[in-house]
Amino acid sequence: MRIAFAGNPNSGKTTMYNALTGRNEKIGNWGGVTVGSKEYQLKKEFSGGQEVIAVDLPGAYSMSPFTPEEGITSEYVRTANPDAIVNIVDATNLSRSLFFTTQLLELGIPVVVALNKTDINEKEGTKIDAAKLSAKLNCPVYETVSTENKGLSEMIAKAISLAGTVQKAPYMQADINLHDKNAVDAEDRKRYSFVNGIVADVETRKTLSTETTSSDKADAVLTNPIAGILIFAVVMWGVFWVSQAWLGPLVADWLVGWIETFQGWVAGQLENSPAILSALLADGIVGGVGAVVGFLPLVMVMYFLIALLEDCGYMARVSAVMDPIFKRVGLSGKSVIPVVIGTGCGIPAIMACRTIRDERERRATSMLTTFIPCGAKIPVIALFAGAFFNGAGWVSTLSYFFGLVLIFLGALLIKGITGYKYRKSFFIMELPKWKAPSLKFAFKSMMERAKAYIIKAATIILICNTVVQIMQTFDWHFQVVEEGAENTSILASIATPFAILLIPLGFGVWQLAAAAITGFIAKENVVGTLAVVYALTSFIDVDELEMTGGANTVAMTMGLTSVTALAYLFFNLYTPPCFAAIGAMNSEMKSRGWLWGAIGLQLGTGYTVAFLINQFGTLFTEGHFAAGFVPGLIAEICMVAALVLIARKVRAHFDEKYELHKGAGTANATV
Amino acid sequence: MELAYKLSNSAAGKAVEKESAGTANEKKTLMNAEPGQTYIIKELNTDDDEMNSFLFRLGCYQGEPITLISKKKNSCIVVIKDGRYNLDKMLSEAIII
Repeated sequence: MRIAFAGNPNSGKTTMYNALTGRNEKIGNWGGVTVGSKEYQLKKEFSGGQEVIAVDLPGAYSMSPFTPEEGITSEYVRTANPDAIVNIVDATNLSRSLFFTTQLLELGIPVVVALNKTDINEKEGTKIDAAKLSAKLNCPVYETVSTENKGLSEMIAKAISLAGTVQKAPYMQADINLHDKNAVDAEDRKRYSFVNGIVADVETRKTLSTETTSSDKADAVLTNPIAGILIFAVVMWGVFWVSQAWLGPLVADWLVGWIETFQGWVAGQLENSPAILSALLADGIVGGVGAVVGFLPLVMVMYFLIALLEDCGYMARVSAVMDPIFKRVGLSGKSVIPVVIGTGCGIPAIMACRTIRDERERRATSMLTTFIPCGAKIPVIALFAGAFFNGAGWVSTLSYFFGLVLIFLGALLIKGITGYKYRKSFFIMELPKWKAPSLKFAFKSMMERAKAYIIKAATIILICNTVVQIMQTFDWHFQVVEEGAENTSILASIATPFAILLIPLGFGVWQLAAAAITGFIAKENVVGTLAVVYALTSFIDVDELEMTGGANTVAMTMGLTSVTALAYLFFNLYTPPCFAAIGAMNSEMKSRGWLWGAIGLQLGTGYTVAFLINQFGTLFTEGHFAAGFVPGLIAEICMVAALVLIARKVRAHFDEKYELHKGAGTANATV
Repeated sequence: MELAYKLSNSAAGKAVEKESAGTANEKKTLMNAEPGQTYIIKELNTDDDEMNSFLFRLGCYQGEPITLISKKKNSCIVVIKDGRYNLDKMLSEAIII
């Protein structure tokens, strides 16, 4: 048996779904968090032993989709024939929600209304007569609070018991021609007046929603173009600082100690085994994976703080305040949400682009959003900040804000290439009610992400590290590479051609090239591979590194200056994200041209940023350009030429389309 | 065809705007309304059927009340039904009250 969860955006569907199934799907206090359907079995205590699948759907205001994710919902309830529908109604906005409810009631599938967020209504003194509403709608109505599991078991039991029955609609749309716009409009008006009639009958409000409240005063400040953006910058800086310069490293230091103890123990156990096995297990696997896991606390603190932000209602305000700026570069205010989600992981960020209505804005956003460093890039940032910049907090802050700058520049570039002309782009964003963020939900979300991180470290990262370790240990004749002849290993011979391309960027050695390449599989691999190829482990414990002899061991081993280190870091941050994110981009963009454009743009950006930092950094610090300036310059010129060619091709096509349209209009005159 | 049509349409729209500004008989939109006041929507002028029907589903259509909560140079916050929304300038100017 399948029960679909449908309702307006931000009415609490996913929160209820999580409570009923025990899942941990992403929730947030704004409309459009869920962008695809999810299904899972109900917990036994709710299903009464039957096999009941709950289907969580994206929020929708009506059966006629406006954005792509709304379409998923109407398509599902129309064609997938669920056995029952739970219609989650935001009790604080009954007058709007019931429009969709009456449409769902027409489908013939049994509907149970969950009047959610009734706790807020109690606080505000709004009363809804549930019994009367139930009679008017001709379906059961239950008052629920999904955040506290209130009313859920009765509601879901009723839905299960109704499965298979036929719903009688209280309001039926007249038989009209659905292509006749005026007729549809007139019908929709009738439906709304039916809804308004019900609301007037069942709802009494103590405070009118039109009164200005203290939260409106806060909103006025937060959406102020100057104050609002400053506040956003400070909030994000705070998140980065706490997670990557203060609390995160504090916990990480402690964790790394344990990992090293474990590594020592493994090495001890392998004392009598062949040296290769010991190197493979202790240094390669435990060392490489350990280096990645050591950064977990930074990532976890970050996820926790972002979850708090997402839960309180701030995201919608940020989106509103950033809209004018994003619009100027050809994106939309809604592009901010993928960017903030992208600090956690690029894949949900790319999927979140579905809430953007305009196709060009949507594709451009999914192309650019991964310039914001994700959780997997945190270990890379932390490693370089620790090893080359004395653990300076500014490195991570700079990485994020520079990512934002790249998004703006990239958006301008896309705008230029696609020949974007002035177009009406409307922006409307619901500002949800503020709520105190739930520590419990943030903790759960953090643990979920941490679990995924550990699983990734134990699978993909572990395999990659093992492969790298083996490729480094053997040469092409499967002979163990001797000390001093590391350049003959399989790894070295594969990575060397790539390393040559990187000479103009200041890091043309095969070890660094290999690490960058494994980074495309998963960004944490950069750290893991560096740990393996340089046989380093204690990346985080800067104090200890300093004790080992004045200058920093890690920095010395890698042979990078602070300029080339920054170039290498930025190269890894702004080149294409991992394959999984590229896959997500492919499925969201639905266009080969855009996908290759995205990969090309990201490769070009990473290369250019590293090239400029290395060459000009060296010029400032040493008074001359770094090695490979001319070849690098030639590469840059080729990239610009490619851009111009693509732009001309796209624009010619654009003009052609325009010509064709015009031609059609004046065909008689010209022929 | 469609593009050409849209272009000419927006050009015509601009011309009308200028005229009405000249005669001081300007249509009242959210952009020149008073914060804190509730108005009745006279018409939606978005030139975009999908947008119009989306607004309709939120409860924003001819004859319905809309309350302006606050207003800035490029955006405003309104109450439609029982929900608060942030609208950009272009949309605020398309809602005639």
